Amino acid sequence: MNTDVNALLGHWPFRKIRKQSLKDLMQAHKDNHIQCGYASSMNSIFYNDPFEGDLELHEWIRGTNYKHVLTVNPTLPGWEKDIEEGCRTFNIQGVRIYPGYHDYALCSDEVLQLCDILKRYELPLFVTVRLEDERLEYIVKSKPVDLNDVQQFVRMEQDLDIVLLNLRFHEVMRMEKEMIELPRLYFDTSGLKDRVFVLEELLKSSPADKILYGSEYPLYAMKSTIELVQMAQIDEEVKRKIFKENVKRLERRQ
Amino acid sequence: MIIDMHTHIWGGRYELHTRELVENCERFGVDKIFVSGIARQYPSAEEIEQHNADVVRFKKEHPDLVEGYVYVNPRNSNAMDVLRRGIEDDGMIGLKLWIATYCDDPLVYPLVEQCIQYDVPILLHAFYKAVGQLDDETTGIHVARLAKRYPEAKLIMAHLGGNCYHGIKAIRGLPNVWTDISGSTFRRDDVDYAVEQLGSDKILFGSDMPGCSYIVNLGQIEEADLTPEQKKDIYANNALKLFRLSL
Repeated sequence: MNTDVNALLGHWPFRKIRKQSLKDLMQAHKDNHIQCGYASSMNSIFYNDPFEGDLELHEWIRGTNYKHVLTVNPTLPGWEKDIEEGCRTFNIQGVRIYPGYHDYALCSDEVLQLCDILKRYELPLFVTVRLEDERLEYIVKSKPVDLNDVQQFVRMEQDLDIVLLNLRFHEVMRMEKEMIELPRLYFDTSGLKDRVFVLEELLKSSPADKILYGSEYPLYAMKSTIELVQMAQIDEEVKRKIFKENVKRLERRQ
Repeated sequence: MIIDMHTHIWGGRYELHTRELVENCERFGVDKIFVSGIARQYPSAEEIEQHNADVVRFKKEHPDLVEGYVYVNPRNSNAMDVLRRGIEDDGMIGLKLWIATYCDDPLVYPLVEQCIQYDVPILLHAFYKAVGQLDDETTGIHVARLAKRYPEAKLIMAHLGGNCYHGIKAIRGLPNVWTDISGSTFRRDDVDYAVEQLGSDKILFGSDMPGCSYIVNLGQIEEADLTPEQKKDIYANNALKLFRLSL
């Protein structure tokens, strides 16, 4: 199944989102031949208790093909029990963090503790490097995620599946060594925009089996992210890996 | 038909960038590109001359594909002569102003007055930023001021003004301002918002290649809630009318 690893549902407080319902997401995926998605709650980013947003998300996506990705802010108390309950009641398929919004370093004790627990549950960690172009933010300015910190973090956590969401072309290039050397490190396609032939260029140095399709819909235009892969002059086999094969390695092992 | 009215040759990278532009056009079926040469924020007269020479050369190499903007640094003492040569001698179809001055700086006034005489549009870089705003970097507010001062001028606020909610609100209701969707923003709702606020006849299709992906902007138009006629207007008809071109 073609899979989107970076789908969002809920309210984005900074501008009107015209396509924010589950029905909209399903239609956009259908129109673009995506059959499955890892979905997380935008509300959970902003709620004092992120789990309340995940309860909403569970109600929305229950009975669909979407895999629930739990939002965790590891600087808050109680997230260990949230993960436990998320596994039990939502069958969560990953945890997503937002260090730029929740203001912590990736190499902090809290995140390392989170990683230990995710290893125990054999759940992947989705790291949101950014959501919006920093230049376009309004009211809340997210703290830029330090790429040196990301590099150090992924080397410390080699036994965990980690998906970096919304990396830019030049950031992927800076992480070239990590992408090659760390078999459980991945990045999604949602942030690849800052040059022509972006995927063709990346594939000269990044292994094809580390790239996952991600839309960041509804914040981003799904058609843009889809066509970045579909219209690239790359092997059909590579496209198949990006859309459907690579993501299989994220599936829960237990 | 697709006209990408906002592309560049970055200074010193003529071979690479022109090859990438042509390859993109061939691969994605772009019928026409409007090109300007840029590089440093405050280019010298010599640098400006080279940028414009690059565009003229590219036009000559691909006359059916390429149209050019003459790029001017209003701070340079020969700015008016650069504009004159670009339009009268080199057949450029518009003026490009970037980040050397705000677009409503008095240094710009004579250039605008001359463009009114030539009846050519002016492409204005405009980007309102939450972080990293440059000195002398135009936003929609500057574009609006210029538009009100010169209602006969044809102004294009590039990149939807960066953050479209800022730029579009500034220029809304000004009949002599158009905007383009070029640049490195992915957002799904920007085009719908722009059309709601300005009307589809004020929106032009551009990409900002080669520094940005053409596909991102194509996807934004394809996904927006537009009629087939509105898409045709944005992809080409609006640019044809504004620049008085026929293909």
